[in-house]
Amino acid sequence: MQRFNLYQEEYHPSPLVNIWLEFRRSHIALSGFVLLVLFLIITVFAPLLAPYSPELQNTNAILLPPSWEPNGTIAHLLGTDGLGRDVFSRLLYACRTTFGSSLVIVAISVFIGVGVGALAGVLSGLRSSIVNHLFDSIMSIPTLLIAIVMVAILGTGLFNAMMAITLALIPQFVHQTRTYVRNELQKDYVLLDRLDGASSRRIFIFSILPGMVELIVVQATIALSVAIIDISALGFLSLGAQEPTIELGASLSLALDVAYVAPWLIILPGMCIFLMILSINVVGEGLRSALRNRLHH
Amino acid sequence: MQHSAFLPPKLICLAMVSVLMFGCGKKQRHDVDAITFCSESNPGSFNPQLDTSSTTADASAHQIYDRLLEFNPTNGLIEPGLASSWLVSEDGLTYTFQLRQGVAFHSTNYFTPMRTLNADDVLFSINRWRDANHPYHDVNGGSYPYFDSLRLDQRLKSVERINGYRVEITLFTPDSSFLANLATDFAVILSAEYASKLMDIGRPADLDRLPIGTGPYKFREFRQNQYIRFERHTDYFLPTSGPQHLMFDITAKSSLRMAKLITGECDAVAFPSQSDLSVIEERTDLTLLEKPGLNIGFWAFNTSKAPFDNPKVRQALALAVDKTSLLDAVYLGQATRAKSLVPSASWAYQSNAKEYGYNPVRARELLDEAGVPYNFAMNVWAMPVQRAYNPNALKMAQLIKSYLSDVGVTVNIVSYDWNIFRENLRLGMHDSVLIGWNADNGDPDNFYRPLLTCSAIPSGTNRAMWCNPQYDALVDQALLTDDFDKRTALYHQANELIFEQMPLVPIAHALQYQAVRSDIYNLKINPFGGIRFDDVERIK
Amino acid sequence: MIKLFIRYLNLIVITIFTLIFLSFLLPFMFPGDLLSNISGIVPQTNEQRLALEHAYKLDQSIFHQFGFYIESLLNGNWGVSLADQATLYNEVRIAFPATLELVCYALVVSIVIGIPVGFMSGLKNHNPIDFSVVTFSMVGYSFPVFWLALIFITIFCLQLEWLPISGRVDLLFDIPVDTGFLIIDIARSSIENKHQAYMDALQHSILPTASVAIVTTALFVRFTRRSIMDVMNKDYIVAAKSRGFTQSQIFFKHGLKNALLPILPILALQISTLITNVMIIETIFSWPGIGRWLIQAIYQQDYPAIRIGMLVVSLFVMSMTITIEFITRAIDPARERAESAAL
Repeated sequence: MQRFNLYQEEYHPSPLVNIWLEFRRSHIALSGFVLLVLFLIITVFAPLLAPYSPELQNTNAILLPPSWEPNGTIAHLLGTDGLGRDVFSRLLYACRTTFGSSLVIVAISVFIGVGVGALAGVLSGLRSSIVNHLFDSIMSIPTLLIAIVMVAILGTGLFNAMMAITLALIPQFVHQTRTYVRNELQKDYVLLDRLDGASSRRIFIFSILPGMVELIVVQATIALSVAIIDISALGFLSLGAQEPTIELGASLSLALDVAYVAPWLIILPGMCIFLMILSINVVGEGLRSALRNRLHH
Repeated sequence: MQHSAFLPPKLICLAMVSVLMFGCGKKQRHDVDAITFCSESNPGSFNPQLDTSSTTADASAHQIYDRLLEFNPTNGLIEPGLASSWLVSEDGLTYTFQLRQGVAFHSTNYFTPMRTLNADDVLFSINRWRDANHPYHDVNGGSYPYFDSLRLDQRLKSVERINGYRVEITLFTPDSSFLANLATDFAVILSAEYASKLMDIGRPADLDRLPIGTGPYKFREFRQNQYIRFERHTDYFLPTSGPQHLMFDITAKSSLRMAKLITGECDAVAFPSQSDLSVIEERTDLTLLEKPGLNIGFWAFNTSKAPFDNPKVRQALALAVDKTSLLDAVYLGQATRAKSLVPSASWAYQSNAKEYGYNPVRARELLDEAGVPYNFAMNVWAMPVQRAYNPNALKMAQLIKSYLSDVGVTVNIVSYDWNIFRENLRLGMHDSVLIGWNADNGDPDNFYRPLLTCSAIPSGTNRAMWCNPQYDALVDQALLTDDFDKRTALYHQANELIFEQMPLVPIAHALQYQAVRSDIYNLKINPFGGIRFDDVERIK
Repeated sequence: MIKLFIRYLNLIVITIFTLIFLSFLLPFMFPGDLLSNISGIVPQTNEQRLALEHAYKLDQSIFHQFGFYIESLLNGNWGVSLADQATLYNEVRIAFPATLELVCYALVVSIVIGIPVGFMSGLKNHNPIDFSVVTFSMVGYSFPVFWLALIFITIFCLQLEWLPISGRVDLLFDIPVDTGFLIIDIARSSIENKHQAYMDALQHSILPTASVAIVTTALFVRFTRRSIMDVMNKDYIVAAKSRGFTQSQIFFKHGLKNALLPILPILALQISTLITNVMIIETIFSWPGIGRWLIQAIYQQDYPAIRIGMLVVSLFVMSMTITIEFITRAIDPARERAESAAL
């Protein structure tokens, strides 16, 4: 809504609003965003949305097809699995686990990664190129490999899988923050702060961090899609979430047992993972081009 | 905009499609004379003496080895094997076996036999498990679960060589199941010559890893989790019509086995999943073989652990689970309800055996009486492989879990690699386990003795770790006579004892299935153990 | 140049040393008996235990143990697997080439398709072809590989029955493992129907390759497109255009090289993603590579195997990464280091 404006002044939206305006112009990005919000809602409100308890077994209604099939029932929207559990409810809970745990993973890695990266950037003592290089090359070890080692040491489980993925995601945030901070430190506005007597900590929090937020958000969307793929892949290989935790990848691998008689049990969880990653990628891409366009204008 | 020098996308797509087509077309089989069987797990070794797992038996018993006697797979009667004839003395204590002459052992790239089968090989094969001081007794673990669980080593007084082709075995007491035991998968005949050669070069452990036998196929290669390769034994002493090459494709997931059967990568698969049975029956290129199995699937409690040492707790747990729904959901109706140990195909079957119904209220009362607190946590071990007697233990465990949560018992489901799983079971690390037993011979003793007698605890077939002198006495007594009525009465008494004590909850006797491609001929379900390929053919 | 080389050599040596040290520590963290975790042998008697402890220098200081570990790694004496007593060196020697083979197939397909398509769509910026390429690549790289593989299996193996599901080549072909690379092994084997074997191997490789390559191709398309778009907006291109050069002249003279150079290292760095995906795909298609082998080792709690498998794969990925970085630096010393995050 356009507010009544007394002065013929030019309207200058804040940078964030500016990005949003740019972002909104792409319909694809916007629909991705809507999908993402939907997954977020599912993650938070799954227990309220699910018509049945995901654990509830009903041996009288095993492997019911989805409701649009000739012998499906409306009572079970997406049918039931081999133990008579409601697929729709389980799917909601599975999305919740996969999406929620990925969010947590990314949040923690951003927190730790930015902290360590800032420290590495501000302190010049750690500049030894070998240490940095070593760190960068360790970052290239595949997540799956780290997860395998973690699982071997600690046993399988969602928590261990989350730890492994967090460990694998942290270095890229450290790397980016460090590079960014080091570049910014050489700029004049930082020098100005420093002349004013600001401490390094203060400079980082009040001068550098705000400018970095966008960068981190874009990086975080990439990390989020990686986290979702990894969590579900580990679940699929039965190295991640175990029964009774319901997770998309694990549901998929469980569904393999009845793949031939109940193919929808494979289609649905896979489709959820795919849509999650797609929506995140679309939003990430939208954000990036919005940022780019804003800089162009 | 001008045209760039690149291929238009259409052309690229076309190229991709043509690459795809190049590799496609209905799969044609090659001219290699071979049959591929998709098995479910890795064999523990290539010697069934060491192991009661049917995976090991499948991979070795009827492929690599022969026994003195054989079961006829159709009617279960005992037939000559490596022994062309045998004699039993009047008192039933002395058995004399006349061996076939000119039976050749396998000649492979790791061993060339210098002689054919003789009495020494029989003596070696029996003494290995019988005599604790035998140089080979302790090789590869020193445990012979089948013979140990039957205490067979203590029932043999002597095994003697009369001449090169005649062996005499003397027992301490008459044993009506003795001949049947010699015909089981486990009583294989190894090569004494090979064993002594291995001992000389200091690699005795290879005896069970690089096997030499007299069977229709010789061992070529084994890769863990991948395949086992066999080759036809051209000098086999019986005429056979089997293929030149036999492959076991190790495929753990039943869904993948089913998929490979459809694509023709497998000619036969082990343990098709219950839910796929209807699919197999519908398809014309696949054939489903079925046969009532001599087996039992059960839920055993570890009676050596508190609170499962208390019969009340065990009864309560049996009462808390609705068997009918287990049968419906796990076996999809392809099984009969088990009341005691033996199935109706056996003469010792008791149609009026007592069993517990579903009564969660009474179950909770019993738990309270036994002092089991609310939210008591126990684990249910679910075997990771499919068996006829329990096609999906994991699913059954989940059903049990939900039933037990109704009576205030929390269940943790435990399941991992089959070989480690059985080893840990043998050590008694479980609270309870979903497993079962497949008969190795038609005698009811083959159910009652290995499953619940005291001597079967260390050998790892008594999953309940239950030891009851009264029960052992009944089972021993039943062997002393050949009178079916007397034996039946004794086994019914044993059933009563099992009902009262509930060391295990009998669940189902399932039908046995085998899925094959329709061009595979002569593959029969062997109710007494391992699969056999000696006469299996592909019709062109 | 020499200075750079020494620096990177230094880095490689330190990385290898760190990884070996980490893998040396692993058995101490694994559950169970330390001796079995290291040796892969469960001692039956006390004497055997003492003998093994002595052989593995467990009765000496930790430095001796580490020294012994490095020594046996170099000797190819990698111990045996807990599950089946197989020699780990042999197992890895057979499994690793299978993985490399699949990685190569996927990489070749991705490069051959991804880079040209990326250029094309970048040059024809914002027309319908570009739009559809962008859409497809976005969809392509959002696929979880394991799900894609399952869908492929359902369509091409179970419905159409065109392609086989599992393994590298039908078991009927008795091809002895020699180099581990199937193409070479078939050529060196003595089987009669080599042509059939090659066809069969090709059929087996189509689906695994496609499953991995779709994701990687999508990534390559996006990188290339972005890069060529950036280059074509540069002043020197605009200048060239204003002088009347044709589009293709400009592209081949200036665009191609300048667009390819910055992305090559980025593409090469995708090797880590690629290997992860290949490892997952291997378990689905029963491809006998190192990924499947490692995951089976986890299921079987085979700690000696996990340790060696880990070490080999991470060493490979790291040395690849460092080498690629070195080459990029050597070709173009002025450039900022490749930012793996720049999608």
